[in-house]
This record gives sequence, structure tokens and C-alpha cells, in this order.
Amino acid sequence: MIHTLTNLSVSAVTIMAPLLLAATGGLFTELSGMLNIALEGLMLVGAFASIAGVYFTDSILLGLLIGVVSSMLLSMILASVTLYLKANVFITGLAANLFASGITVILSFHLFGNRGVITFDTLKELPDLFTGFAQQMPLIAGYHVLTYLSVVLLVAAWVLLYRTRFGVRLRGVGFHEQALASLGLSPHRYRFAACVLSGLYAGLGGAALSLHLGSFVPNITAGRGWIALVAVFLGQRRPIGILLASFIFAFAEAFSNYAQGAWSVPSDFLLAIPYAISLFAIIFYSVFETRKKRIEYRKD
Amino acid sequence: MRKIERFSVLEYFVRSLFGILAIVLLSVIMLIAAIFLLSDQPLTSIASFFAGPFSSLYAIGNMIDHAVPLAIGAVGIALAMRSGNMNIGGEGQVYAGALVTTIVALALPGWGLTGILVALAASMLVSGSVATLSGWLRERWNVSDLITTFLLSNIIILVVDYMVAYPFVDPQTNLISTRFVDPSYHLLIILPPSQLNIALCIALVCVLVAHLFLYRSRTGFELRMVGDNEEFARYAGVDHRLYRILPMTLSGALYGLGGALAILGTYHATIKGFSAGMGWNALLVALIARFKPAAIIPAALFFAYIDAGARSAMFYSDVTYEIAYIVQAVIFFLISSSILQRIALGRRRV
Repeated sequence: MIHTLTNLSVSAVTIMAPLLLAATGGLFTELSGMLNIALEGLMLVGAFASIAGVYFTDSILLGLLIGVVSSMLLSMILASVTLYLKANVFITGLAANLFASGITVILSFHLFGNRGVITFDTLKELPDLFTGFAQQMPLIAGYHVLTYLSVVLLVAAWVLLYRTRFGVRLRGVGFHEQALASLGLSPHRYRFAACVLSGLYAGLGGAALSLHLGSFVPNITAGRGWIALVAVFLGQRRPIGILLASFIFAFAEAFSNYAQGAWSVPSDFLLAIPYAISLFAIIFYSVFETRKKRIEYRKD
Repeated sequence: MRKIERFSVLEYFVRSLFGILAIVLLSVIMLIAAIFLLSDQPLTSIASFFAGPFSSLYAIGNMIDHAVPLAIGAVGIALAMRSGNMNIGGEGQVYAGALVTTIVALALPGWGLTGILVALAASMLVSGSVATLSGWLRERWNVSDLITTFLLSNIIILVVDYMVAYPFVDPQTNLISTRFVDPSYHLLIILPPSQLNIALCIALVCVLVAHLFLYRSRTGFELRMVGDNEEFARYAGVDHRLYRILPMTLSGALYGLGGALAILGTYHATIKGFSAGMGWNALLVALIARFKPAAIIPAALFFAYIDAGARSAMFYSDVTYEIAYIVQAVIFFLISSSILQRIALGRRRV
């Protein structure tokens, strides 16, 4: 029992990395007052571009760079159109997702002659860290480098958002746009920065997904960008909450992977578990919040 | 002082149409550029993309047939969006509607027209209930409908996948699919040899009814009022809570109807994943139409044209189907821009 639980937690931490990265990216845009439904598309572009980058440059670092830059480019297009052409952020987000799912398949067909799964035998693997300590500290050691990076980058995001002037202003845009404008600062500039940062994080999240797997499948993200968005809401837009929410989702996915092998439950039902848990989590959270507000309202 | 700008309705119409056409034209230019970059035989690709859908009566009929479920789903989305609600769970609702129809048709063989009506009603009931649940959750507990419709839709897709693959699977085909419904359930073909059928008329009726409902009925007026300004509607004594739920029910039911008609008119069996993309595409059609029912017909036809063009280009040339996404993405990046709208309408400020 304990052993199974430990195993589940270990695989949950690995599964969590892409989700946590994308959710942290979503945190920036959410705090700046933009609904970023393009996380899914940004992740997808990051996943494809990084694996293509590693294949062509034969270097993990350059591949990651290519992946992140591509997804940042898409987020820049998204931000420019949304902010400077005053478009609806929900619709441009859908556009970005559509564009991402199109361009990845088109390029994979054009570059590798294959619309489906791309796997390379010669692809470099992500290096694992602290493998020697994995026996003594099963929950902390032995993951690949991007798993650690996802937590480090979450802390970095916290520092940036809560301990720098830039971060205070970025949150200020979401909190009260006019207040920031009255200080002579441009709200658009901070939203733009938030969007590009979300591109950076989500792109890295996508890279963590495909490089860990060592291959690219069309729609490899399979709704993870959306789940990341739910994690932002559920984590109450706070870094620690996001970490917790991402871990819960990742644990649910790890459990569904485990159950698939252990019991003879149809895989379709098990694949639905992460969505079902997200659904119940968001419902319970909203019920709780609404009740709290109603009680406060009555007290006043 | 700002001058009050006067616009005739006709001028407004012509100018906004011009704006949309300009965006569409730009997206087509991007498509041609993409084909030149990607294809080894760009001229063949372009020719088969643009002329392919009109190459025969068969191709034209099928293209229009594919527009039917999109138009019906888009009508529902328009109603939901106009009232300030959000239903992005179309993928699951279409798929569920399709499966429910198939199950009813398989359970009641030979019932003919009555059976068709029962099947359509059942699919609308099921898909409508799912969307109603999201509307109710938002009304009662302020749960984001954007998120619940999406999550519910993903769960439903997996459940339907399971149903098609196990309890209702037809072991005699290689496809993962249910059995075919019996011919008494097939809708009347109106343009043989293509698959275009009388579902087209149902789509046209839906558009007409939605238009009259929105602009000529008290309920429709209140619905738009809630969508435009909920505070104002509340002060005017409108039961705004009703309009959190009713439009969701309608949009779900219409998605279900779209899926059901695709089964009875075109596919005649629920094939695993057959409706993938229909829900999103209907949403996109509603967006091009700017949530105006009358504009849904040309928008759905345009969408079906791009879809058919991409299929034909894939078939006769060396590009992939996904080039259609480029056109769609460019349109959706620009369609909601209020700056571009202002330029099209010739206004300096709004």
C-alpha cells in the first residue's frame, strides 16, 4: 500500500512538471487580468519545436531554446493582436490553439514526412539528476532536469510577482487597470509582458512533455493546457495553490495510468479521471467560495 | 464635443460586410503563401483547393451537407453568447447527441418518422441537459461555465468512445463503430448522388426561428438585454437567472440536434471520433457570423468550403488537410478586433 502510494507520487511528480510550468505561465496572464485559453496551443508549439530543435541541433539546450522561442513568438502574436488591435482575448486564444494544432502537423509532415507519431532513435534523452540518491530519497531525487526546473521556476515566478516592482505593477493591471494608467504606466505593456512570460513557461511545459516522452504525437498536450488553466483558478491564483492543484491533477493522472495496468477497467473511463477530478474540484471550490461570500454579506 | 454619427442601416451592413470580407481575403492570401512555401506543385494544390469543392454536383452537395450540423450548432452558440453565457462543450454535446440518436434508432427498428422524431428529441434532451447543468452550476454557485462545459465535454467524449467501442460495437466491421441504423431512419436525400438531405431544411428553419426569437419576441429581447448589460436588465425587472440557464439548454439541445442529424442524414452509424472538430467549428462559425443568426448561413457555407477545399487539396496534391487551420486561425485572430471594425466602419472613435 505504502509502496504503491510512493510509486504513484513519484510518477505524479514527473507528470506534474509540464502542468505546473503551464499553470505558472497562466498565473502571469491571469494576474494581469487576461484570460489565457491559449496555454494549450503554446504548449503544443513548445512541444513540437523543442523536439524538432533537438533533432536538428543535436543539443538539448538549443532544442529547449528553439521550443521556448517559438512558443514565445506565438504568445507575442497573441498579445499584439489582443492588445493593440483590441480583439477579444477568448477568440484570439482559440485562434492561437487552432494555429498551433495546424502548424505542428503541417511542419511535421513537411520536415519529417509524417503526420502522425514522430520518434527518433538517436534523440538525446533529458538527463536525470541525483539518481544516486533516488533510493534514499524516493520522492525528492531521481527526476529529469525539467522537473526540478519547474519548481525552481515557480519560485522564480513568485519572486518576480511578489518581490519586484515589475511584479507589483503586473498584478496591479489585473487588480485595477485605471490606477496603473493614472500613474502614467502603460497597462498594455504589462499585459504584453505577462503574455510573453506565459509563452515562455507554457513552451517549456510543452518541451518537458515531448522531450520526456522522446517523441511527438499530434495533440500531444491532450487538454493539459486547459487543465493548467483550471489549476490556476483552483490554486486561487497563488503560486503555492497552483503547486498543490497541479500535484492533485498529476496524481489523478498517475492513478489512472496505474489503474489501467492493475485492474481491467476500460481505459476510456480511466482517462476521464483527471477531467472528472478537475470538474469536482472546481465545483467544490466555487460552492465554498460562494458560501463564504454569502456569509460575509449577511454579516455586513 | 463628440459629433453624433449617423449611419443608415444599409451603410452599416455594407461596411461591416466589407470588413469581414477583407479579413477573409487576407486569410486566403496567407493560405496561398503557405501553399507556395510548402507544396512542390503549388499551382495544382491551389487549383484543387479552390476549385475542388465545385468540381461536381456530388462535391457541392457534400460540401453543403457538411455545413448543416455546423449551422445548427452555431445557432445555439449564438443564443448562448448573446445572453452572456459560454458553451465550449460542443464537441461532447454533438458526439453525445449522435450516439443517443443511434441507440434510439437501433432500439426501435422500423418506426419510421415517429422513430426519427423520438430519436431527435432524445438527443436534444440529453445534450440539452448537459449544458443546462453547466448553466445551473453558474447560476447557483458561480462556477465558470467556460470550464465546466469544457471538462464535461471531455468526459462525455471518453464515455461515448467507450460505448461505441464496447457495448454498442458492431463486430462485423473493421471500424470502431456501432451498427448501421435501418433505412427507415435515413433522411430523404435531396441532391443525389451527394449526401445532401432534408436536414438542410431543418437547419434553415433553426436559423429563421432563432432570428425571429431574438429580434421579434419578448423573451429574445430580454435575453439580449441580459447579455448586453446584466445590471440594467436586473433593474428593468428581467429574471436574469432564467437567462443564465435557458440559453445554455437551447445551445446544448441544438448541438445535440446537429449531431443527431449528421447520423440520420449522413453517417447512419456512430463511428468512433466521427464528429471530432464539429463542436469547435460550430463555435467558430458563430464567431464569423458575429452571433447573428442570419449571418450563420453564409458563415457555415464558407467554413464548409474551406474544409472541402483542404480535403480536395490533400487528395489531389501534396499538402496536408491542416492547411485549413491556417485560414481559420487568421480569421479568428482578426475577426474580433474592434480597431479593424472601426476602420471598416469608417469611424474615428466609438
